[in-house]
Amino acid sequence: MSSLCLNRLQEERKQWRKDHPFGFYAKPNKSADGGLDLMNWSVGIPGKPNTIWAGGLYKLTIQFPEEYPTKPPKCKFAPNFWHPNIYPSGTVCLSILNEDEGWKPAITIKQILLGIQNLLDDPNPESPAQADAFNAFKKDKALYERKVRLQAKEYAVS
Amino acid sequence: MSRETYVTEALGGIYERVKAARVLMVGAGGIGCELLKNLVLTGFGEIHLVDLDTIDLSNLNRQFLFRHEHIKKSKALVARDTASKFNPDVQLMASHANIKDPQFSVAWFKRFDLVFNALDNLDARRYVNRMCLTAEVPLIESGTTGFNGQVQVIVKGKTECYDCNPKEVPKSFPVCTIRTTPSQPIHCIVWAKSYLFSNLFGIDEDESPDLDNSVNSDNASEIENLRRENLELKHIKDAFGTSEFTRLVFEKVFKIDIDRLLSMEDAWKHRKAPVPILYEEFQRSANAEVKKAASKVASDDQPVWSLAENFVVFKDSVERLSARLLQLQKNAAEGSTRPVLSFDKDDDETLNFVVAAANLRSQVFGIERKSKFEIKQMAGNIIPAIATTNAIIAGVCVLQSFKILNNDIDHAKVVFLSRRPERIFSTESLQPPNPHCGVCSVARCGMEVDVSKFTLHDLVEQVLRAKLGYSEEISVVTDKLLYDIEFDDNVDKTFKELGIDDGTFVTIIDEEEPEGSTPRVNLELLVYAKYVIVVLVVVTVALTIHREGLGDVDVNYKLTSIPEIPRKPVPKPTEEANEVPVSNGKVAVSAGLKRKAEDDELVEVNTLDTKKSKVETRDEDVVVVDDDEAIEID
Repeated sequence: MSSLCLNRLQEERKQWRKDHPFGFYAKPNKSADGGLDLMNWSVGIPGKPNTIWAGGLYKLTIQFPEEYPTKPPKCKFAPNFWHPNIYPSGTVCLSILNEDEGWKPAITIKQILLGIQNLLDDPNPESPAQADAFNAFKKDKALYERKVRLQAKEYAVS
Repeated sequence: MSRETYVTEALGGIYERVKAARVLMVGAGGIGCELLKNLVLTGFGEIHLVDLDTIDLSNLNRQFLFRHEHIKKSKALVARDTASKFNPDVQLMASHANIKDPQFSVAWFKRFDLVFNALDNLDARRYVNRMCLTAEVPLIESGTTGFNGQVQVIVKGKTECYDCNPKEVPKSFPVCTIRTTPSQPIHCIVWAKSYLFSNLFGIDEDESPDLDNSVNSDNASEIENLRRENLELKHIKDAFGTSEFTRLVFEKVFKIDIDRLLSMEDAWKHRKAPVPILYEEFQRSANAEVKKAASKVASDDQPVWSLAENFVVFKDSVERLSARLLQLQKNAAEGSTRPVLSFDKDDDETLNFVVAAANLRSQVFGIERKSKFEIKQMAGNIIPAIATTNAIIAGVCVLQSFKILNNDIDHAKVVFLSRRPERIFSTESLQPPNPHCGVCSVARCGMEVDVSKFTLHDLVEQVLRAKLGYSEEISVVTDKLLYDIEFDDNVDKTFKELGIDDGTFVTIIDEEEPEGSTPRVNLELLVYAKYVIVVLVVVTVALTIHREGLGDVDVNYKLTSIPEIPRKPVPKPTEEANEVPVSNGKVAVSAGLKRKAEDDELVEVNTLDTKKSKVETRDEDVVVVDDDEAIEID
């Protein structure tokens, strides 16, 4: 791990410890030898209250590349997550996570997670990433919303 | 006349130092061959050469120590054999090994007066930089790209190190460009090489551990429906090795997947929609059009192949690669990992596959096709290498080394070579270390411990807190985070259990921010493992009992020095400016959403020039546009 990447990730962990939005979590994964793998985190994003996403705590993984923070991390939901801008693989399609678009090395983990929370209830119709959720969103809102609510129940905090 | 006559005249008093010098050269490639020739002919007393690579046909145009009969042999060993004939007075040692191997320890680096880097990648450069800083040996770093080249002298505490300035990182493409909306030939080449090739012949994506899927079984049928894309691929893989396989793959990637993309109509409102291509049609027309055998077509790498020719080569290469993989799997030992194929620009069958698949995809998306020769360059990330540039740079390396040997660092320079008519060389004075650099502006010390006994708790309590005066707010990191204020699961584990052994670097990050001050700089502890010898077992037991009686008091460790650990300099104001997105987080994010949000996994593509990072500086002004407002981030 390069020193720039390591120092930054440890700093992110410290900042998150000091202050993070209510209902979210973010922690590095434990590796087999007992240490924490700072390059791979597990995070949870709550759906915004008063939206069809409310009630769910949506799990993601965040993978940081060796070149972080010059390059953005990769954020992934479970495969086949129901959302127009999430690839079938679960990968999130969001401009602030794209090196050629909105990514800036100063963007924090907190900002990324808040950005994804926004994206949940505010899909971008210009940039479909999966056919099913996208086509439902465009053509059959009732079906789309039913699926979202169903998914929220599946991800409900027990 | 002695071989020393001219060199003595040219170098004067320095020559004695050159003869007595013991130097290390890392890398025996383009620059390395030139440099080794220079060092040997100059008469450097002892030269140690390390390179893990073997000689390839494509090296022979510029790596003049190698000949055709040396192909597949070790670069280090052949270079030694060839160059030793130039000057029998020089002691030449070579290791066919990775410089990161533990045998090349800090103590080993310390034996040298000077290290030369003649490397081709960022990772090894960074590693040698760090080892030289730790061992306090001067380093001469060099690199070339095409007509450009650079030499930098690095001396711990006196000059900038390799990592004092940020390096350009290789460009990568978002996978949605690659998988959904390609617009350039390179997008299709990356798709063929990194997506299709590895899915068919490489590591199975489905076998890689994935997220645990917390969706419950209530809507299992829906999930099944959504998984069809994976299933389709699985189904196709069942047909692996049969005559149907090629057709199934073709229909999946050039027809079925394209139809699915087309079903998302909005995506194609402002873009040219792709047009699926049909296997049957090609099958009919290709037979009529292409008289030549696939191998004949593929051997011609200059012209752009016709569609029918690409089809024929696609079919042929899929069949060949499938047969090869099946054979490998048949030969593989029971229980060993499943063999896979990987793309190699010099492996003609893999290259043919990538050329044909990329060109067929280009056809689907209305992108121009490329010749095999062009695609080989693009897919193989070929960095143009010019023998003359390497020779000039290797010469500059030796000139700089004289200044180091003569203790004349003040006159050493960073030298840039570029192709400009008025002046090909430009130089810069060496800059002092960047106080914010996380690699050279850290405290270092060695620590000798018995790694099978010494625990993380001992490190934190005895060494860091009691001895070095750290607070509770620290983290201890190797390649993993082992400890911080929120994570103490590992405190009772020994160094050995945590994977810390002889030569491991343990980084201590201070996280305490006292009022009006900054945290300390990082501390890098280099572990020297001390092993208890078997005959001493009895004594050890006695000591252990003794130790229990006294609690933690006589934990056994020895620091090579008591490091001075200064506080970090106050952060540069530019970092404050970078905080803009915090207050404007919403703007930045929603701006992102309004814009074409394109991102999937990033695919590594172009390892362009990690080498000439200092040759160009880029303007970093960024404008975030949200329809009618613009925020400038300096």
